[in-house]
Amino acid sequence: MVQVVFSPKWFWGKDIFIDVIALLVLLSIAVFATRYYKIKKSKNYLFLAISFCLIALSFFSKILINFTIYYQVLHTKVIGSMTYTQTILQSSEILSFSGLFLYRLFTLLGLYMLYSIYEKQSKANIVLLIYFIIVSIFFSKEEYYIFYLTCFILFAIISNRFYQNYGKNKEKASAMLAASFSVITISQAFFMLVNFTKHFYVAGEVVQLIGYVILLTAFVTVLRHGREKNKGRHNR
Amino acid sequence: MEGKRTKVDIIGDMLSSIVGKGGQIKPTHLMYKSNMSHGQMKTYIDDLVQKDLIKKVKKNNFDYVIITDKGHEFLQKLREMKEFERAFGL
Repeated sequence: MVQVVFSPKWFWGKDIFIDVIALLVLLSIAVFATRYYKIKKSKNYLFLAISFCLIALSFFSKILINFTIYYQVLHTKVIGSMTYTQTILQSSEILSFSGLFLYRLFTLLGLYMLYSIYEKQSKANIVLLIYFIIVSIFFSKEEYYIFYLTCFILFAIISNRFYQNYGKNKEKASAMLAASFSVITISQAFFMLVNFTKHFYVAGEVVQLIGYVILLTAFVTVLRHGREKNKGRHNR
Repeated sequence: MEGKRTKVDIIGDMLSSIVGKGGQIKPTHLMYKSNMSHGQMKTYIDDLVQKDLIKKVKKNNFDYVIITDKGHEFLQKLREMKEFERAFGL
C-alpha cells in the first residue's frame, strides 16, 4: 500500500493551511513573471513562470489528496459502516496513487525547469533528466524518501545559484531569496526522515512555511524597491 | 560589461530620462540622454506616442516630449521588472 498520510492526527488541517500559503506565494511570483514575460518576451521569465506554476500545481495536488483523506475517507471510517468505508478506501487508493504521482511529477519538473534557467543544457540532456525524474518518481512509490532526496538536491543546487547571484549584486532581496530556498532545502531533509517519527513531518512543514514566508518577503521587497525607485524619480 | 540594450531597455532609458527632467524634455536632449541616433529616436518616439506612453507638445516654439500617466505606470513596471531580474539573477 502506498503511504499517503505522513502527518500526525493533531496536525491534520494545519499542514493544508501551510501548503495553501506556499501555493499562494508561488502563484503570485508566477503571475508577476508572466507579466514581465509579456513586456520583455524573455524566455527566462517564461520558464520561471512555468516552473513556479508547476510547483504551485504540485501543492494543489497535495492539498487535494490531504483534504480528501483527512476530511472524507478517515472521517467516514469513524462514523460509517465497514462496507462503505472499504469502498471509499479503495477509491482513495487510486486517488492517492494518481495524486501522489502528479504531486511528485509537478514538483520535480518545476524544480528541474528552475534549475535549467541557470544551468543551460542540450536537448539530449533535458530528455535524459526528464527520464530520470520519472524513474525517481516510480522508485519513490515504494521508497518515498527518494523523492525528497531528489528535491533536496535540486533545491540545494538552486539555492547555491541564488547565493552566487547575491555574491555578484549584494542586493538584500537576492540574499533573502537565497535564504528562502536554503530553508526550503532543509525542510526536504526533515521530510526524508518521516519514517522514523511523524514529528519530522511537522518539523518539515514548519520549516517549509518559514522558507515560503521568507520567499514572500523577498518578493515584496523586490516590488517595493522597484516602486520606491520610481517615486524617487517622480520627486526630482 | 553590459550587453546590447534590448528594446525594453531603450524604452526604459527614454522614460527615465523624461522623468529625470521633471516629466518633459526636448527631443535633442532625450536623444543624448538615452544614447540614441536621430533615426532611432524618431522611430521610438512615434512608437511610444502610439502606445500613449508619451506625448509630443509645443511650448514657446519648442518641441517637447512629455510622459503620460500610462508612461509613469509602465516605467514603474519596468523598474519592478529590473529588480525582479536582479534578485532572481535572470
